Amino acid sequence: MNCQTAIEMEFGARSDTGLVRENNEDSFRLAPELNLFVLSDGMGGQASGEVASRLAAETIVAHCREAKANPRLHLIGERIEGVSDAANRLASAVRLANRVVHQAAQRNTAQTGMGATAVAVWFADERMTIAHVGDSRAYRLRRGELEQLTQDHSFIAEQVRQGMMTAEEASQSKMQNVLLRALGIDPDVLVEVSEELLMEGDALLLCSDGLTHELSDAQIAAVLCDTDEAQEAAGRLVDLANRAGGADNITVIVLRHAAKLAGAVAKIGRWFKGS
Amino acid sequence: MSKLILKFENSVLNEVPVGSKEVSIGRSPDNGLVIDNPAVSHYHARVFNEEGRLMLEDFGSMNGTFVNGQRVKMVSLKAGDSVVIGKHSILISDSREVTNPFPTNGGAKPAPKINETVMLDTKERREFLQKVAAVGESAQVAPSRVKVATLVVRKGKTDQREYTLSNKLTVIGKSALATVKLKAWFAPKAAAQITRRDDNSYSIGAADKVPTVNGQPVIHPTKLSAGDVIAVAGIELEFIYRE
Repeated sequence: MNCQTAIEMEFGARSDTGLVRENNEDSFRLAPELNLFVLSDGMGGQASGEVASRLAAETIVAHCREAKANPRLHLIGERIEGVSDAANRLASAVRLANRVVHQAAQRNTAQTGMGATAVAVWFADERMTIAHVGDSRAYRLRRGELEQLTQDHSFIAEQVRQGMMTAEEASQSKMQNVLLRALGIDPDVLVEVSEELLMEGDALLLCSDGLTHELSDAQIAAVLCDTDEAQEAAGRLVDLANRAGGADNITVIVLRHAAKLAGAVAKIGRWFKGS
Repeated sequence: MSKLILKFENSVLNEVPVGSKEVSIGRSPDNGLVIDNPAVSHYHARVFNEEGRLMLEDFGSMNGTFVNGQRVKMVSLKAGDSVVIGKHSILISDSREVTNPFPTNGGAKPAPKINETVMLDTKERREFLQKVAAVGESAQVAPSRVKVATLVVRKGKTDQREYTLSNKLTVIGKSALATVKLKAWFAPKAAAQITRRDDNSYSIGAADKVPTVNGQPVIHPTKLSAGDVIAVAGIELEFIYRE
């Protein structure tokens, strides 16, 4: 991956157990020197979810770090056509994370069946790559509009996409949290990657479903628009989700592409509130 | 999840859930459950979860804590128990659902908690994914011929007359990243972007400019259909499929 210019990303993150769960099975890793940010939501009984999400997040970062030092590092899985080298490297990292979690689950009876979601965003110049497996999400705020950049790999979401179910039926369903894809379950996993333009003023949000089960898109957009600093926004989102119920672990990473202008002018161009 | 319901005579004053963190009870405002009454000590007692049981501990308060009429130091609580501190009472409520869609099997693994994320059972997953793949195949009109998404330039200055959308991300603009390179000197680095989704559909989204599709401005990313006309930054493109 060729990084000619240092991209100025302001970032903030917070992970909280929430008000109901016994422990926090979400993990996140920030690698700002690589412009790489990763979030994972673990599942499995008896705190094995914590192990799964930690292994997933750490493996993804380690693989990308190694690739930066050694660009000819072997790519895991088939090369994806029509996307950049960075996208292929990130997909490779997620596939490796799948293998690591899967192996750990096989070796340890206490960890049988453990798994994790993953969502990772990697920035390079004007472009960013997003890779994900599961129902943890990436959102973008541009000109005051919040857009979900990833589609959930959940049973319900797939049925809606296929026209087997309406969105309203989906919101009523008792099977909201059933996934079709996760890391660690099978020896191989299909990673979804996408590339997006990065524009000045863009804000990105990575989050586990603990956030989106409690807050609407409008509430999330309002916090991102009204809060100056990424870390403050991350804290406010978690607090708001807890106040709304906090039924699951809540993890957020907030990223903002800072304007490169110096002095007073930089203070003006904050979040676009949408014209 | 258990809840502590604070009552004074017959009025409910407050409700606090007890999760992984303990709930401290007392007159001091930094408690989890504040009881503002002179008979209550500043830090009177606490309720916490220990190995699946709800426990109450009195901190050696002046006027004591009573559970079902008995003064206690440390005791386990269950739903329906009545806890009295001074003139206030705390009801223990258990808001767990009665029906469990994941019945406990006799095996080693405990049943997943309600609403916890789980994988769809392997057999059902395979069957469902096969069904989805079959639907995808039958939707193709002529499976022997591949449709290639293409942008045909109808108006404006660009470096080519036609562009095949072979990448997941197609940028329209002046930047080095752009596939559709705009020639006009005032053109933005990235006017708009077209993204290919995993289901092979294409969506157009705004970047520096807001494009229009068939005259309608693209406020949210919009899926493209064959024949759609895109206008942005002084150029016009028709989205088609070539075989």
